[in-house]
Amino acid sequence: MAFIMRVLRNTERWWAGLVILLGVLAGMGQAQAFEVDDLSARVDGELLMADARIDYDLSDTATEALENGVPLVIRQTLVLERPRWWWRDVQLASHERAYRLQYHAMSRRYVLTWLANGESRSYRSLDALLATLGQIEGWPVVRQARLEAGRDYRLGVQTALDLDALPRLLRTVAYVDGDWQLASQTRYAKVNP
Amino acid sequence: MSSLKRQGLIRIVLSVLLILSLYLLSAATENSARFGRLYIWLLLLNGVVLVALVGLILNNIWQLLRSVHARETGSRLTLKLMGLFVVLAVVPGLIVYSFSMQFLQRGVDSWFDVRIENALDDALALSQAALDQRMRDMRQRLEEAAAELSDVDAGMAPVTLGDLRARTGASELALLGENGRIIAASSVDTGDFLPHRPEDGVLLQLRQGRPYVGLDPIENAGLHIRALVPAPGPEGPSNTRVLQGLFPVSPRINDLADEVETAFSEYRELAYLRGPLNDSFSLTLSLVLLLSLLFAVWSAFYLARRLVAPVSRLAEGTRAMASGQYGTQLQPGGNDELGSLVRSFNDMSRRVAEVRDAARHSQALVESQRAYLETVLGRLSSGVLALAPDGTLRTFNEAASAILSVPLAEGVNRPLVDLAEPYPHFRPFAELLEQHRQISTAEWRAELSLDTSEGRRALMCSGAVLPGEEENGGDVIVFDDVTALIQAQRDAAWGEVARRLAHEIRNPLTPIQLSAERLQHKVGTRLDGDEAALLARSTQTIIHQVEVMKDMVQAFSEYARPPTLSPQAVELNALVQDVVELYRGEGVEPDLRLELADDLPVLQADPGRLRQLLNNLIRNALEAAEGARCEVTITTACGTGRHADKVELEIQDNGPGFAEDMLSQLFEPYVSTKPRGSGLGLAIVKKIVEEHNGMISARNTDGGARISVRLPRVIAADERTGDRE
Repeated sequence: MAFIMRVLRNTERWWAGLVILLGVLAGMGQAQAFEVDDLSARVDGELLMADARIDYDLSDTATEALENGVPLVIRQTLVLERPRWWWRDVQLASHERAYRLQYHAMSRRYVLTWLANGESRSYRSLDALLATLGQIEGWPVVRQARLEAGRDYRLGVQTALDLDALPRLLRTVAYVDGDWQLASQTRYAKVNP
Repeated sequence: MSSLKRQGLIRIVLSVLLILSLYLLSAATENSARFGRLYIWLLLLNGVVLVALVGLILNNIWQLLRSVHARETGSRLTLKLMGLFVVLAVVPGLIVYSFSMQFLQRGVDSWFDVRIENALDDALALSQAALDQRMRDMRQRLEEAAAELSDVDAGMAPVTLGDLRARTGASELALLGENGRIIAASSVDTGDFLPHRPEDGVLLQLRQGRPYVGLDPIENAGLHIRALVPAPGPEGPSNTRVLQGLFPVSPRINDLADEVETAFSEYRELAYLRGPLNDSFSLTLSLVLLLSLLFAVWSAFYLARRLVAPVSRLAEGTRAMASGQYGTQLQPGGNDELGSLVRSFNDMSRRVAEVRDAARHSQALVESQRAYLETVLGRLSSGVLALAPDGTLRTFNEAASAILSVPLAEGVNRPLVDLAEPYPHFRPFAELLEQHRQISTAEWRAELSLDTSEGRRALMCSGAVLPGEEENGGDVIVFDDVTALIQAQRDAAWGEVARRLAHEIRNPLTPIQLSAERLQHKVGTRLDGDEAALLARSTQTIIHQVEVMKDMVQAFSEYARPPTLSPQAVELNALVQDVVELYRGEGVEPDLRLELADDLPVLQADPGRLRQLLNNLIRNALEAAEGARCEVTITTACGTGRHADKVELEIQDNGPGFAEDMLSQLFEPYVSTKPRGSGLGLAIVKKIVEEHNGMISARNTDGGARISVRLPRVIAADERTGDRE
């Protein structure tokens, strides 16, 4: 009987997740777990650089998973677009950075690894890690020469937890559980070369 | 049926789709790499299907309950089968489900062991404890190094750091200034110029004077011990310099620690994933079961209907048969027992219908034969009776009733003698038949005279035994009313006599009269006195008697004269009143009473002859009174029953009535009970009636004699030829 109750309870949870998912699908939106607080572009030499500050607020579920040894992958994407009113925007550049978050039980530290080059740093607290992760400084976007003067461009930054990078067993759950739907909306900033 | 078949096809397609969807769902659960994102949509799709199935099932239940409530054929059976199917599907499904869930739960749990978990925890703790000792050593070394740096300024720091790094065995030493700014650094790896800047929390801790030491897993370089200690410069303790050292752990310990860490992490991860694993498997299993069960329940409706459909049709067909709709054909279907049952039903129904048709046909045949026989018998002028072997009346024709003047319909299925009670004149006939029946001669003939209410009748009877299954199939008796025939023969004879008599007598009468007159004329003048008077008296007597004889001869010749009718519309009532008027004011005025019907139809008759008829009848009645006060009642009426097309006239007197022995010859010439009269009065009356195709009868009543006359409204041409019924 107990297992049935458990299933029922789970089912209810699943249904709740499904309902939330439906809400997301319907575009009604929900409180964003991640948020791009600040975004700005600057020119450094020949390059257009992006600075941003992202507030990462991991849900309890995700934190629990992380502390139980489940590595999390967070992706940051950056796009530069030239808006067009009559057609889709022209995408001039699109970059992505992927970071892996991991808890190291032996050292009791949180390890942040930049997947592009394998460089890693460890932090005593998760907050310290997330604060570092949320600090983007001088992300090269595009050579300034590619930008035409007098035109409007916009820079967009978005970040999300990569569900596909979760362990296989957790993925199906994560797809339907609202606690795992961790992503920010894309924040845009105008760029006037 | 076609609807059911279509439904079946839809169900097969749906079940294939459902199985595909469930397969994808389980595949998505097993292998998210391939179907990862699809999982949500599959869940959504299956959820929609689930809701749709629940809706369909509720709808089906509602329909079924409604049809049960309306007592539709087969609905109860459907309900029963439905319940059976549901129990058959749901109970094993639930049992399998419960066991599966239990196995799943236990199976997943069995991977984990508390002892292993504790052992891993202990291993980790042990490793940490081992490393803790080393960390304290490293911190001490670094503190000693920091003390040596106390009088080294920033310019000399890199040289001193390199020396200190070699002595302490650190892989990296860095002197950090305020806010973590690097003053100088020395590293084993010459490519890595920039040591890691410590995080803010650690710097804060150092600023408070507390050293930091901790493990730092460095990617690709293994586990390191990072220690930070305050390193005051020559400027004094107010200067917040920090010495950071990174010490490698010995490779052996590093490998061991790494293995412990990996094992611990993996185990923790697995233990943590137990929940989601359970959830996703349970969800998939529950969804699969729920969908399968709901689909089974939904299909159970269809199956129950499909199974019950031929039974319902059979029940309806049987009901139709019971209500007399033979030949009801059901739509055949299937090669199973139900199908063969339907076929058998159809055969039976068709045969019953064929038998019914045959029965109807033969009944119609019998009816038509019967009608034919009845028509033939009805048109026969002879009376026909059929008797059952036990002597009861079986059938008869109209002519038999008319001839016998007995409503034979009253005596059907009863012995003939029973009819003799209410109709005494019928007794001789009944007795004659009984007599012959007793003897049971094959064929017999007899003549019989019946004294019916419509006059005396002479019957010529012949009987025969009918063939039957047993020895005697009853009797058939055919009889004819030969009264008219005998009468006609007698009339013809009398006519001939009258004609000859008239001829023979008339011829000598004139010479006799002339001779008597001449005798009177020639001889009377020569005689005188008494002789002349004698002659005159004698010749007068001769002449008078000759006159009388001439009248008689005239009467005879009139009687023998062939009828010359001139029919026209006659109102009988008016004629009666007219004639009666002549008798008013006579010497002895008769008491003439008229009972005339109001709605008497107009007759087609010869008024002169009718007037003669009335005169004769009234005079006959008056003469019968024999001097007493005469009362005559004249009645007219419309005929009833089989005389509906006739008009009736009755004359009743208060005389002594007819002598019994005279009754049979009453209407014959020269039959008279009266001392006076030519004896032709009633004979002429009868002749006039017959000229009009009427009927006449006479009988005695309590108060005298009554003569009844029936005249047809129209004298039909065929009737004038004398074709009597």
